[in-house]
Amino acid sequence: MPEAPDAVETLRREIEAETIESEEEAEAFRIAYLGRKRGKIGALFDRIPDLDPEARPAFGKAVNALQDDAQAKLEAARERLADEEGDALPELDLTLPGRPPAPAGSLHPLVETLDEVSGIFERFGFSVAEGPEIEDDWHNFGALNFPPDHPARDMQDTFFLEKHENDESDERLDVVLRTHTSPMQIRVMEEGEPPFRVVVPGRVYRNEALSYKSYCLFYQVEGLYVDEGVSMGHLKQTLALFARSFFGDDVRTRFRPSYFPFTEPSAEMDVWWETADGAGQWMEILGCGMVHPNVLEHAGVDPEQYTGYAFGMGIDRVTMLRHDITDIRTLYENDVRFLRQF
Amino acid sequence: MKISHDWLTDYAAPGLSPEALAETLTMGGLEVDGIERTGPSLEGVVVGRVERVRPHPDADRLVLCDVALGESGNGTPDEPAQIACGAPNVAEGQHVPVASVGTELMLPDGENGGERRPVTIEAVELRGERSEGMICSAHELGVGEDASGILVLEDDARIGQPLAEYLADRGAAPNDTVFNIDLTPNRPDAASHLGVARDLAALTDAPLERPAVELPQEGGETAEAVSVEIEDAAACPRYAALLVRGIENGDAPAWLKQRLTAIGLQPRNAVVDATNFVLHECGQPLHAFDFEHIRGDRIIARTASEETTLTTLDGTERTAPPGTLLICDAERPVAFAGVMGGRNSEVSRATTDVLIESAYFAPSRVRRAAKALGLSTDASYRFERGVDSDGQVWAAARAARLIAEITGGAVVEGLVDERPQGPPEPRRVRFRPERANAVLGTDLSASEMGRLLTSVGIEGRDRIHDDAGGFSCVVPTFRPDLTREEDLIEEVARLHGYDRIPAPAHVPLPARPPREERTRSLRRRVRELLAGAGLREIQTNSMLSKPRAQRFLAGENGDGARGETGVVETLKPISEAMAALRPRLLPGALDAMRFNQNHGQETLRFFEFGHVFRRSSQREATVPGYAEHEALLVALSGPAQATGWDDASGDEHAADFYDAKGVVEHVLAHLGADGVEMEPFGAEADPNVAYGLRLSTAGGAPLGVVGKVDEEAAAGLEHDVFAAELRWGTLAEAAAPRRERRYEPPRRFPAVERDLAVVVPEAAAAGAVRRTVEEAEGAPLLREARLFDVYAGEGVGDGRKSLAFELRFQAEARTISGDEVDIEFERIVSLLADEHDAELRG
Repeated sequence: MPEAPDAVETLRREIEAETIESEEEAEAFRIAYLGRKRGKIGALFDRIPDLDPEARPAFGKAVNALQDDAQAKLEAARERLADEEGDALPELDLTLPGRPPAPAGSLHPLVETLDEVSGIFERFGFSVAEGPEIEDDWHNFGALNFPPDHPARDMQDTFFLEKHENDESDERLDVVLRTHTSPMQIRVMEEGEPPFRVVVPGRVYRNEALSYKSYCLFYQVEGLYVDEGVSMGHLKQTLALFARSFFGDDVRTRFRPSYFPFTEPSAEMDVWWETADGAGQWMEILGCGMVHPNVLEHAGVDPEQYTGYAFGMGIDRVTMLRHDITDIRTLYENDVRFLRQF
Repeated sequence: MKISHDWLTDYAAPGLSPEALAETLTMGGLEVDGIERTGPSLEGVVVGRVERVRPHPDADRLVLCDVALGESGNGTPDEPAQIACGAPNVAEGQHVPVASVGTELMLPDGENGGERRPVTIEAVELRGERSEGMICSAHELGVGEDASGILVLEDDARIGQPLAEYLADRGAAPNDTVFNIDLTPNRPDAASHLGVARDLAALTDAPLERPAVELPQEGGETAEAVSVEIEDAAACPRYAALLVRGIENGDAPAWLKQRLTAIGLQPRNAVVDATNFVLHECGQPLHAFDFEHIRGDRIIARTASEETTLTTLDGTERTAPPGTLLICDAERPVAFAGVMGGRNSEVSRATTDVLIESAYFAPSRVRRAAKALGLSTDASYRFERGVDSDGQVWAAARAARLIAEITGGAVVEGLVDERPQGPPEPRRVRFRPERANAVLGTDLSASEMGRLLTSVGIEGRDRIHDDAGGFSCVVPTFRPDLTREEDLIEEVARLHGYDRIPAPAHVPLPARPPREERTRSLRRRVRELLAGAGLREIQTNSMLSKPRAQRFLAGENGDGARGETGVVETLKPISEAMAALRPRLLPGALDAMRFNQNHGQETLRFFEFGHVFRRSSQREATVPGYAEHEALLVALSGPAQATGWDDASGDEHAADFYDAKGVVEHVLAHLGADGVEMEPFGAEADPNVAYGLRLSTAGGAPLGVVGKVDEEAAAGLEHDVFAAELRWGTLAEAAAPRRERRYEPPRRFPAVERDLAVVVPEAAAAGAVRRTVEEAEGAPLLREARLFDVYAGEGVGDGRKSLAFELRFQAEARTISGDEVDIEFERIVSLLADEHDAELRG
């Protein structure tokens, strides 16, 4: 029988030489070395009483360490075996692609943005109304407080259509392609009683040369809220909340004076837009204001009793901003290589 | 509109940086959408004094100068810099501009026609001698023309002072910052430097410095020398005239030219430049006539009764329609009022006597004239928005004084001021502070609001003693836009600051049930459905050329019955491609297909929701004479996109009619639109659709078509196109609302299935055969009939085909017997024999 310390070293070498390649071998290893009754490490412990009292602590410590190492070797082997077992593959090549129920389709980013913007306001309790794209002068301009022969009309390059033959005399019945979704403010108010709380998504037209930044048509979402006690503070808050919902909670907005014939006071809202290189600028994203009393009067609403706010937002521009699209024509070209990205 | 920073701050100087100033204006309602620096950059160029000049030991044409440049921060003067100089005029004791080491100058390139290029001044060795900087000529610095020698500054120049500062102190700042203001149409008062300064002063509490001008008295020598008659006082409520005699009309002084060039104007001569200066100073357009060419010493403002031709100042012969306001002398027109003067009375360098016109023309008349002439000028821009109706004499006197000063002329005493209706009554507007707070959601005191209004000239707030209360405010004549209480509320809001309007913690919601139109909720569902089925949503132009619109208008498509008659044309479109509106969505989809085919795409599966337009004879429409509805288009062409790697992934056949019909049926089934009738049609009915089905709702309303697109219509496309175009409103109407569906428990008793194969003539329509089966009288137990096979060929005889159905019989409350099924099966067979010449397939 070797001397006790040598026995530890011998057993260590033996244990290190063992290979464990199956669950059976693992069990055999456990019984041979770690078994309570006939395990070889247990046998070393049994020898402690035979040693010199001074030698006992060192020996005990060495045997304990050996027991820990054997245990670790066994656990590592079992873990490895369990992993390997999981890799037992069926005959199928599971890495082949799946079979889609249909090829990929796509939704147009403009319509998606239009829906998203309207949807946010719907969650704020706005109803949705959609109106005609061919409008009469009264709804597109007159009722919205654009006087005839007024420079405000130059703000919008208008497509005129032929007048209906019997109405030559009445200027209000000049026919236009709506230049904004605002005519629906009038139609909504004409058809009901306050309060009105509605958004109007839709296509609008401008008689402009086509370029990367202007197209002959684009989308807008109009909003209108008329009720007792509506204030500009409400407008500001609602739009600020919209911006946080649409652009993210950390969006910076500012609200500055502007001019629209159909609102007074009028404002524009800008958002701070940061480009990839870290530079940033204020981008105008919508026009708004308190509904002009003339507009309320034209629509048969008493401006002393009711106040209201209105806003209008261009959808193409924010769609381009959020998707890094630099040429508005891309939106109407319908290149599949564009469409498939959305 | 361009506003020069330096010019602006002559009138209001709040001590802000140009950027902060722009921000202030923007947040106050004058949006600065661009800031531009003008003039050369003189950064790094400082005043130095030439202490010592000695010859360069190794170069005849150079001298070495020791130049004191002041101190660089530690309180004691720095050592003078040694600078080599080749200028003939350099001398000891001179104060000179020095570009220090590191300065970037835009130096004229002698070899390149004087074009300027950036050069960085470095410390160099010139023939063995150090040179640390450059003493510059006016030309090199870009502050003048003189290139003959270095620029010698005045002796009191402070050593080390930045040159830009030195020049600015002497009123000759070569640099300026120009703001581009996107002026809204309601603010004619701000269409000038003084106007912008007025807002700036109000927004910053800086004082407004308006130049003092001595106003002449009406009459006097001027009135003896010239007469003014106003024939159309509605178009020309006021016409003031002043004379300056004995001028020498050369170049305007540098400071004046610099003001004009800063805002992008080309200096012409002293008189014209002075009138332009005053226009951009106060916003009142002026016109200067050469008085020698005003025949009869008379000015007549009259409205043309016929077309009038006049060669304007720009040398173009222009013709104005009747109704245009003209300024005439005793014999002929000399100007289109408010737009542009005539060449016949133009001020030239030979002019000695000048007549200054300062008038108020009616905005709408100037606007119409400018439109008719196709000419927008700085003058018409301001007149059509409305100039200060009381600012004419001030502007005329200011210009006359200035012209006299810079041309050596003399202002003729007196004034002609024709104003047939007298001075306008001051406009009064009621203002209620409580109302302002209610509209704005603020809590401002009446006195604070009063202070804000006063800061922009709104005065005279007398309390009104009636039920509505409030104050009666007097609106200044330069603010024609302020006519209602809301206008004053806006003034309060913008001067207080929109950003200071508090955002309330709660926003109200009216107690109204939320509603959503079915056209909208179902559209969203159908879009998802179609995208999920492999189609791509497109957005096409509503506009197209007229011939194309005509082509796609054809085909009654169920529309003729509605009195929808013709193509909708746009008047004066800027391009032929925008001359008409689409009568249906198909042409846009075909364009998209062609575009993609040209870019290598074979699989074309598109859908679009959009409005389509026609002329209509119906008067009840939203807009009489026009019909508009929303359509849903589906268009398929080319092979299906390969989706898998094995045979089970399906074939890649080119899209055919049944693919298109299948998409339509998929949509109908999804919407629960039951009972849609589909009537086959051939080529005659619609020149754009070779064949297809005409769809109508169970109630008989036309729904649209699905079919094969005519080959000529689809010209240029490699594969056949199959398309469906449906009236979306009608379809949404026909959809069964989900909430109206009622649950029917599944039948608990077993069903019996039988296959039925019948041989019918080849021409028999499967749909009709199936309908006979489904509607068979005397077969109440039949629950379902599914067509699962169509076969023609061997075994069924020539001119015949076999249709095979899977029939399912089931009763509600009992198990049915085979005998019962046999009886119903035979009844169906005999009905088919009667109606379709069918026989059981053996």
